[in-house]
Amino acid sequence: MVTARAIVARCCLALAFLAPAAPALAGKDGPAPIVVQEPHYGEILYYFYQEDYFPAIVRVLAAQEQGQLATHAAEAELLKGGLYLSYGHHLEAADIFERLLADNVNPEIRDRTWFFLAKIWRQRGYLDKAQRALDNIGEDLPEDVEREAKMLQAQLLIDGGDYDRAIAMLQDWKGRTEWSRYAQFNLGVALVRSGRVDEAKKILEELGGIDPWNEELTSLRDKANLALGYALLQSGQPHAAKMPLQRVRLEGPFSNKALLGVGWADAELDSYQRALVPWMELRGRDLLDPAVQESMLAIPYALAKLDSISQAADHYVNAVEAFYEESGRIDRTISHIESGRFFDEFLSEDPLDSTGWYWRMQSLPEGPEARYLFHLLATHEFQEGLKNYRDLNYLWSNLDRWQQSVDVYANMLETRRLAFAERLPRVQETLARADIDGMVQRKLEYDALLNDIEQSGDWLALATEREFELWGEITSFEKTPALAADIPEAGEVRDKIRMLKGVLQWGLEKDFQERLWRIRRDLRETGEALVETQRARRQVDDSMNRQPDMFLAFDQRVYGLEPRIETLKMRVGDAMAEQRAFLQSIAVGELQAQQRRLDTYTVQARFALAAIYDRAATVTEAAVK
Amino acid sequence: MTRKLLINVVAGLALAFAASLPAQESGAPDADAQSRDQFRQLDQDVQSLKKEVLDLNRDLFLLEEELLFPANSQVAFFVSMDVGEYFKLDSVSLKIDGKEVANYLYTDREAGSLLRGGVHRVHMANLKTGDHELVAIFTGQGPQSREYRRGATLNFSKGIGAKYVELEITDRVKKQQPEFVIKEWE
Repeated sequence: MVTARAIVARCCLALAFLAPAAPALAGKDGPAPIVVQEPHYGEILYYFYQEDYFPAIVRVLAAQEQGQLATHAAEAELLKGGLYLSYGHHLEAADIFERLLADNVNPEIRDRTWFFLAKIWRQRGYLDKAQRALDNIGEDLPEDVEREAKMLQAQLLIDGGDYDRAIAMLQDWKGRTEWSRYAQFNLGVALVRSGRVDEAKKILEELGGIDPWNEELTSLRDKANLALGYALLQSGQPHAAKMPLQRVRLEGPFSNKALLGVGWADAELDSYQRALVPWMELRGRDLLDPAVQESMLAIPYALAKLDSISQAADHYVNAVEAFYEESGRIDRTISHIESGRFFDEFLSEDPLDSTGWYWRMQSLPEGPEARYLFHLLATHEFQEGLKNYRDLNYLWSNLDRWQQSVDVYANMLETRRLAFAERLPRVQETLARADIDGMVQRKLEYDALLNDIEQSGDWLALATEREFELWGEITSFEKTPALAADIPEAGEVRDKIRMLKGVLQWGLEKDFQERLWRIRRDLRETGEALVETQRARRQVDDSMNRQPDMFLAFDQRVYGLEPRIETLKMRVGDAMAEQRAFLQSIAVGELQAQQRRLDTYTVQARFALAAIYDRAATVTEAAVK
Repeated sequence: MTRKLLINVVAGLALAFAASLPAQESGAPDADAQSRDQFRQLDQDVQSLKKEVLDLNRDLFLLEEELLFPANSQVAFFVSMDVGEYFKLDSVSLKIDGKEVANYLYTDREAGSLLRGGVHRVHMANLKTGDHELVAIFTGQGPQSREYRRGATLNFSKGIGAKYVELEITDRVKKQQPEFVIKEWE
């Protein structure tokens, strides 16, 4: 298409992964638009814009194989890289980018691409690759992305245990955006991990006192206060610990732990009555939370300290029962997950209408398992594992569909082969009857005859049938004996005959050239038709000769693809099983950890209960004595 | 039960949790290393399978096309949009030599993709060499959200080799009306 489109693909959009992350790029400051000049390129964009990355990639590969993207070769390759990345095929994408991003690409796009690759690789645990991608970034990132890239670098250093470099980098952080708060927090993390707890406390103290302007920062503040509060508790400063813990919101992801901590701070200060207030608040909350579980032991502990022994015993008994029931539920959940049905259920609840790196599981399928695994969703490993599981399931369905289609193609080929074998003799017989060489010979004879007629000026040779009959009649009249008589009547008839003959001859001579031209034209057209017929005949012959080879070639392709599909399907099935086992091990590991914690609490509750009974028995015994 | 034991259990959890990063959580390096390696191995397997399945899909896609629409008789019809201020596409129907061959209803997502520069292959056909007539009927919403139905015709000649025909919807700014053009893709 040569007309310029107002809506055209932009080069930067070829980097599919940039689109959602950086919509500004599609604006007026983006690179120059590209006019779609080949339908196949436009078709790839059609799927790309719908985020159907898999069919888009297949079309790029097919079009490249057939040389249909000649005028879009460079954009198509870049687009393919972007599509691979969006589809989560990051290793293949990186190969392309490593080839293409070296030159001829807008530096900002190049830097963004490396940044997103680094981000994906860190999420997928390819820390070495993530670091190499970050090293490739130049100085052309926009400010906001540059901050994120810097943070990513610090995170990679922390992941790799290089806390000193991470600390140096984060201490040097400039600016007052929310990124500076994240930097502060991560600095605290790095300091804690490197054992510099006192320095970390200062950082967390400052972060815990900020005035947040959005939910994310509020959450960050809560997190900092919680970490600080517990650090102070652990270092034996319960009084100081209370303030940061009380700064945590009452309703939020960290509120339970904060309430528990506030209670422990009071308990440390021997204010058991006060400690009961936050702990009692926890009693009505979700028992899944370890803080709530622990509060079930903390309450009777405080009651015992306040000499409410009977109440304390009741609470311990309740706790043991609650932990036992919860443990039973976890057992059932583990069995369900190990049966493998859980992940199939979640696939069926989430149709595979889209795949790719941007997909995120927003909620687990309904059921008793969901409440136990909810926070697993927040982890990269589980999310990325689920993505892979989904992608594998998509691949399996794709192969299954092709398997059925290939069967149909094999049948189609067989039917065509039968039809060909059936028609071939009839066609050959018909062709044998058509004497094209004889026709060509006759045409050449006509040419020669016409040449003779032209050279001899034989106008009578070009007379029509009727004219020729007339000419014959007239000449036969001339030979009538009666007309030879020397009488006036005979002379009159002879004159008439001569006149008729003259008129006829005059007409034939007059039309001679025109007739000659018309016949030559017809002969030339006949000649052309004969040439075309000969060409068509050669094509038919050629086609008949080649058809068996074509059938054979198609056969080889169809029957060669069948085992490829079958083998790949099996391998995808195996990979699905492995991926499922991996996800199961994460989920079951998480549940078992919860169960172990419950077991520990149960043992503690039983011991405490035994101690209470012991004390009661001793008191009774003493009273009897 | 000791007070310290309880505090330590939850404090350990709290600190481990607090040590996670704000935007992207990071587990304790040692504890996660094995799991990360296992994940990476699986991920590499998945990557390799993706590549093989994509390559296989390419081969199957080409086989399907060559089998069903041999190049000598293949004609592909594409729909494209330029701007689209004055027309919101709902459907396209095609008649070739008086016979209806395709009737495609567009979803919002598909129409949106066309607006952004995507080109939709709405129909593939096998046609004999020689002259043919294509009639396309576009329906949708025109200016002021009025129902709009327009046709366009193209007489074309099919020779040897694949042929691509474009059904293009453009805006005529002067008349503030959409325009429907069918042309052979050059």
